[in-house]
Amino acid sequence: MSSPIAEQRFREIVPPLLDDAYSLAKWLSRNPTDAEDIVQDAAIRALQALSTVSVDRPKPWFLAIVRNAAMTFMARNRRKTMAYIGDLTDLDTVDLPQGEEAAPNPEQELIALEDGERLRQAIAGLPSPFLETLVMRDINGLSYREIAEATETPVGTVMSRLARARAMLAKTLRAEA
Amino acid sequence: MTDRDANERLLRLNAALDGELDAMGSLAFERELRDDPAIAAQYQRLSKLRDAVRRHAPREAAPHALADRIAAMTASAPAAPSPQPAAAPSATVVPFRRRTWLDSRAMAMAASLGVLGFAVGAGLTSLRTPAGSPDVAQHLVSDFARAEIAGQPFDVASSDRHTVKPWLANRTTVSGTIVDLAPEGFPLVGGRVTIVDRVPTPTLVYRHNEHVVAVTELPVDAKGVRGGTGGIETIDGYHVARWSDANLVYVAVSDMDEKALGEFVEAFRHGGGPATEPTRP
Repeated sequence: MSSPIAEQRFREIVPPLLDDAYSLAKWLSRNPTDAEDIVQDAAIRALQALSTVSVDRPKPWFLAIVRNAAMTFMARNRRKTMAYIGDLTDLDTVDLPQGEEAAPNPEQELIALEDGERLRQAIAGLPSPFLETLVMRDINGLSYREIAEATETPVGTVMSRLARARAMLAKTLRAEA
Repeated sequence: MTDRDANERLLRLNAALDGELDAMGSLAFERELRDDPAIAAQYQRLSKLRDAVRRHAPREAAPHALADRIAAMTASAPAAPSPQPAAAPSATVVPFRRRTWLDSRAMAMAASLGVLGFAVGAGLTSLRTPAGSPDVAQHLVSDFARAEIAGQPFDVASSDRHTVKPWLANRTTVSGTIVDLAPEGFPLVGGRVTIVDRVPTPTLVYRHNEHVVAVTELPVDAKGVRGGTGGIETIDGYHVARWSDANLVYVAVSDMDEKALGEFVEAFRHGGGPATEPTRP
């Protein structure tokens, strides 16, 4: 039930972004099966939207749809792991962790970085706003401005979330070493 | 150094790492790196962390089955219904994920032809609602009554939302919600396309004992549609409930009693229990 022009745009935009979409959905849902459902939902929404909009920057545009589909999916299926409940701005106003940088144990941290499973667990343990920012930057390769667009967040917030996400990761890895 | 300075410094380190500094910013940052070993060390650590993330958490390839389903969304015309009614009696238990999209759709078609003996070839359960209708509920009640009398409450027969959803998505312009309410006593039995104001619209059919409830999902801005909060009214002897969320208005028509419909609406709005998944690949 979509127009030929929408289908044409869809075929140009969505298939090349499937890996990015799937990876993002999998990190956000922490479940490969849910990730497939989320991407399929997102694709349906994208096809509908393409009947009326043309898209300048496909990647942040489609990943925004994936992110929103993930939030809807998690809420609807009562998945508790992704808690997008309440106002998260308070998280953003907390000062960045200071001090640890002054007394790191570089060797321990380097060893920890080689343990892929632990690193992945540490990433998965990040609160959602930080997780999605980190994934969009380091896995999807979006620029700050694109992340801001995809998450409907000011660039300044994106920057502080990313800095904080990386600081939290480093801290977790050090703590567990 | 104040906290604020330290904050700024950390943001700048990250921005430098991500190639987000402009030319002047990069120049200043290079000087800082050269002149301040502490910053240089911090930058090193951050860069190793970033590299480790990229190495250990790489972008993953989407499963082929998913890519196939996405590709099928814009494939040409839907598969024609199978002319052999006896085909694929086990269609409704075939896990959706194991099949390509067109396959599962054809299977679902075959199921509604064969197992349940419905004449799908006769067309959709369309109801030609007059344009610009004042209120959609009246038409949905007529649609419900007609489907009941015809003994054909759905076009696609399946208790698997993974079969019903893409079937509907390919025929309507609404990306609807399908919740699994079997644990609450309302198993999904299928879906159909209802024409509302000339727009094909998804309707989900659930069963409860001997009764049926049909939930039609409409865009909030559709003509003649108004939202509601789940209250129940009676139209032509049928009970009708409507409620809405941010994107859709839901109208449920049923021959169940008011209490049971109220329970259904409550369960649907709360998303049902954990969704039953078909066998995972």
